[in-house]
Amino acid sequence: MIDFGIGEDETLLRDAVERFARDALAPQARVAEANRAPDLATIALYESLGLMGLEFADGGLGMQARCLVNQILGGADPGAALALDRLGHAGYALWALDGSEGVAAVTDNPHRRAWLATPEDGAVNITERHASGVLHFAPAGVTDLVVVSAGGVALIRDGIESTPVRGGGLKAMNPVRIGLDAAPVARFRRLPVAPLLARARLYLASLLLGVLDTAGSYARDYAQQRVAFGKPIAHHQALAFLLTDMHTAVTGARLLIQDAAWRADAGLDAAEAAATAFTETVEQSSFIGPNAVQVLGGLGFMQDYPVEKYMRESRLLGLLLGGADQAREEAAQSRDMTLMAGGVL
Amino acid sequence: MRFDLDETTAAHVEVLRQFGRDVIRPLGIERDRAGSPTPPDHPFFREVLKRGLTRAPDRADGGAGGPGPAVLRVITGNELAYWDRGVSSSLPGPGLGGGPVMSMGTPEQRARLMTRFRDMTEPKWAAFAMTEPGAGSDVARIQSRAVRDGDEWVLNGAKLYSANADRADWIVVFATVDPSLGRAGHRAFIVERGMPGLSEPKPEKKMGIKAYASASFTMNDLRVPADNLLGGEAHYEARSRGAGFKGAMQTFNATRPAIAANAVGMARACLDEAAAFARDAGAAGHRCHDRLERMRRKARAAWLMCLKAAWLADQGAPNMVEASMSKATAAEVAMEAASLGMELLGAVGAQGEHLIEKLYRDVKAMDIVEGTGQIQRIVMARHLVGYPRDA
Repeated sequence: MIDFGIGEDETLLRDAVERFARDALAPQARVAEANRAPDLATIALYESLGLMGLEFADGGLGMQARCLVNQILGGADPGAALALDRLGHAGYALWALDGSEGVAAVTDNPHRRAWLATPEDGAVNITERHASGVLHFAPAGVTDLVVVSAGGVALIRDGIESTPVRGGGLKAMNPVRIGLDAAPVARFRRLPVAPLLARARLYLASLLLGVLDTAGSYARDYAQQRVAFGKPIAHHQALAFLLTDMHTAVTGARLLIQDAAWRADAGLDAAEAAATAFTETVEQSSFIGPNAVQVLGGLGFMQDYPVEKYMRESRLLGLLLGGADQAREEAAQSRDMTLMAGGVL
Repeated sequence: MRFDLDETTAAHVEVLRQFGRDVIRPLGIERDRAGSPTPPDHPFFREVLKRGLTRAPDRADGGAGGPGPAVLRVITGNELAYWDRGVSSSLPGPGLGGGPVMSMGTPEQRARLMTRFRDMTEPKWAAFAMTEPGAGSDVARIQSRAVRDGDEWVLNGAKLYSANADRADWIVVFATVDPSLGRAGHRAFIVERGMPGLSEPKPEKKMGIKAYASASFTMNDLRVPADNLLGGEAHYEARSRGAGFKGAMQTFNATRPAIAANAVGMARACLDEAAAFARDAGAAGHRCHDRLERMRRKARAAWLMCLKAAWLADQGAPNMVEASMSKATAAEVAMEAASLGMELLGAVGAQGEHLIEKLYRDVKAMDIVEGTGQIQRIVMARHLVGYPRDA
């Protein structure tokens, strides 16, 4: 069955999250960036929505719902979205380690914050007992650090030393550098990491998609208002084609994310599809982010307009979990390249 | 949201796959070497009809759970073009002519023209003719004239690149009653084989996709009965502006995802051949893998665009942007995949013996037929940013 529709539950969820993003998150984006944190009212409202760990709940809505939510939140303020979701993309590893208890340990305790990283996010040496090294970019206040490597999944709860960094973007999550000096590993399991990495990549890719979608829409709206040489700049063919290509790029990334999320929810191997979706979304961020600024010209370069923030933050999101290079490598190696013969992709 | 195939459709694809591997691809290569379309009396066409390959798969469940007709069309188009797009375009049936007959034709015309394609035992074709020497992308500027004369219409003009027109029982021909009226002057006519004034459609010499005929013909005082005005006078009186043109555009909106699916199938073929060559030549290194990964990723995105556009059509939802997007994207992906394949082949590609070399010539057409990539962007821009028609 080919079906691009969304169900009643997802529609209700989408509507609620859109209201929150529109009324609470987006208007405060610059304030949260300056304060390096969402305000308390926004945090309280977010917690009341029950979005954290929604994909793990009994009869959970799954990755498709998570991607839908993240796209909306990412479009409003990805830094705040990362700050608000204390479970974040680490939830899949915590679930793999300890099931629902591992997830609930974070979601039920407002003082806990999880974060997921790979050794490629810095330089980390992991044994089953200790972890040492540095992770370059994480939110402040991490209490449950999960490091996923080819050898397995390690959970670190003590010895996490955070040093604030200025941050090129996503400042609402109060970025820090994490140092580990023989930090004790609380839990370690050797398990296939591809399924949880697939979900974590979809988590980030959908946040990124939201930024790109918003950037493209903003540029499109602006280009229909701004007049140059006697007509809206969107009606000059060079820009009209650029704007349609940006829309196409967002659509392609969205479809790949939806396809991979469906595979994950259907219990199929989603690793290659998720790596592909992540790679495509990151690749398109280098096209859409800078071109959104380009459409606005000098105004786009100024912080009076949001597109410079979209450009910076979309690029940063694509650097996490080893970035596109790591994902591309996994996508390229995941199967025999000739398997496409004789069937739909 | 889900993206899997039901058993019946998967079995249908498997049938196409086997037939494609055993028959379609070898025939496509044969016709490419011969440089001419598959003759209409070739046993291939009877074999196609015998196997029922031009029909939707019979469903034990009566259709429940299966894809809609547009989605089924893109799935079929993807697989057939994987094996040979030229051969797939030569298959018997109404072709592009079917769309306007079904969307604009009177009940009598639909019955008269389309019934012959149900349960064919002998191969039959129909065709569609819009393009002219002076009107390609800008189809609103066609110059073929239609003049009413009593109970007849008199047609004069020339048409190019009409698929399968050389063997068609009838051709949907677009002409204008007054070029100064633009689209409002368009009328669509059924021109039947053997009508006096219709020249013998002549297959053009092409760079690729040679297995089907892209035929050109002229109309010299060609007299068409008034009953062959598609939709009848009432159709144009009721829709006083642009009805004929809109009929053509509706055809394109329905077929663009199918053409895009063809391109995706060709991109898949390029990728498979390129990957196999790289592996056999010991060239499957890191850079090669990255480039193949990129093409596979782009092809998958383009395929999902085709499915989305077709799915919207099956829902009866507007799909103008999605249809154009899928067409523009898939054609470019196919071209890039073929070009990558040629680069991997190196000088081997220059020998003209490898399938990728043929695909490289074949795929370029996909960015031209039924609206170039530039036209697709204009269509999208009109909807997305209000791009004016007179820009």
